[in-house]
Amino acid sequence: MTSEPERTRQQVATPPDVDDLMRRVAGGDRDAFAALYDAIASRVYGLIRRVIRDTGLAEEVAQETLVEIWRTAPRFDPSRGSAAGWIFTIAHRRAVDRVRAEQSAADRERRTATASVPFDDVIEEVTARLEQHAVRRCLRTLTQLQRESILLAYYGGLTYREVADRLGIALPTVKTRMRDGLIRLRDCLGVSWG
Amino acid sequence: MTDIHTLSGAYTLNAMDDLDRARFNHHLDECPACAAEVAELTETMAALTEATAEAPPIGLRSAVLASVDDTLQLRPETHRVSRRQPVRWGRWLAGAAAVVVLGGAGAVGYVIADDAGRGASTRADAETHRIAAVLAAPDARTRSTAARGGRVTVVAAESLDEAVAVLTDLPSPGADHAYQLWLIRDRTPRSVGILAAGRTDATRLIGGVRGAALLGVSREPAGGSATPTVPLVTQLALG
Repeated sequence: MTSEPERTRQQVATPPDVDDLMRRVAGGDRDAFAALYDAIASRVYGLIRRVIRDTGLAEEVAQETLVEIWRTAPRFDPSRGSAAGWIFTIAHRRAVDRVRAEQSAADRERRTATASVPFDDVIEEVTARLEQHAVRRCLRTLTQLQRESILLAYYGGLTYREVADRLGIALPTVKTRMRDGLIRLRDCLGVSWG
Repeated sequence: MTDIHTLSGAYTLNAMDDLDRARFNHHLDECPACAAEVAELTETMAALTEATAEAPPIGLRSAVLASVDDTLQLRPETHRVSRRQPVRWGRWLAGAAAVVVLGGAGAVGYVIADDAGRGASTRADAETHRIAAVLAAPDARTRSTAARGGRVTVVAAESLDEAVAVLTDLPSPGADHAYQLWLIRDRTPRSVGILAAGRTDATRLIGGVRGAALLGVSREPAGGSATPTVPLVTQLALG
């Protein structure tokens, strides 16, 4: 194909065949699962690796996640959202759970207390990746605080309380910044569901 | 705007601890607009995954497909079952201290007593919060069986890798005997709790349930045993 037709934003969120594949996977179709793997594995792995950073551990969690998707596919409820949304939510939750499990409470306190650590790197790296992409324009419409709150939580695996500590802002502020930022992103990307 | 409503962003980002998540799940049960918002924000974050896509390691595909060959899928009926249940777990989670009450005919209800010591970070509080989280987990699944005139109920949340076991009205094990709980995986039992001697009722949080096939209850000499005395008092399939 010489010129890829411009895809709609909706399709970015939900490639059309993923929902169909999920239906077949839910029925126990292993061939469909292999096709589903090919459709989503790079996005699952990439997301997990952003959060976990260590490639070996990310591979392990990606494997667990993908097998879990197979195992729980019959429980996926299409009336609640797209298959892609469900899959990436599981992947992200697994990655975040692993990150949190690996850090003792003491470590986490120290981590949030010290302003150095890799979170600025995380934001920078992720932003750089996203900069090359279609979501760039939309991320730019967010305030700095909205952007940082979202990226720290999502890619740093922090709770909103930890984000508040880290950024030195009040809890209600961080909650509303996350929500307002995501709503702005949603509106900018034109993503809809239902 | 109510405070909890603003948590839809943090919820979507998985930026919550288990208790906050349990409370927000409760909120979602009662706020269709919030559930719709979370669904849309979830799609939004899904759109971002394309920007972070990365080729997985070479061996991942074959490892996953091989593992899938050996992995049974869950049965689909949970949705129907949970929809038929008149009580959503979340509705009862406003407070903290969870007390499980069993009604007739195997119906299960949860009553949450007000937690006078809220904010005190005792171990009991932490356990109570985790019990609440299990009960409120979206994938929480209840299994219950009659056992010698009493009842044993397990609510398991695979996503949290935890379960809550509730024993009610079992016959007295005798003053010098006790009930003991076991998780059985690959035919190997692991002790996950021993009741005080003579106790016939208990609510216990059990960790590491993922992959376990059965929960068993046995009657043992007070203080428990290293391996369960058979026959078991009862057992429940978890898979």
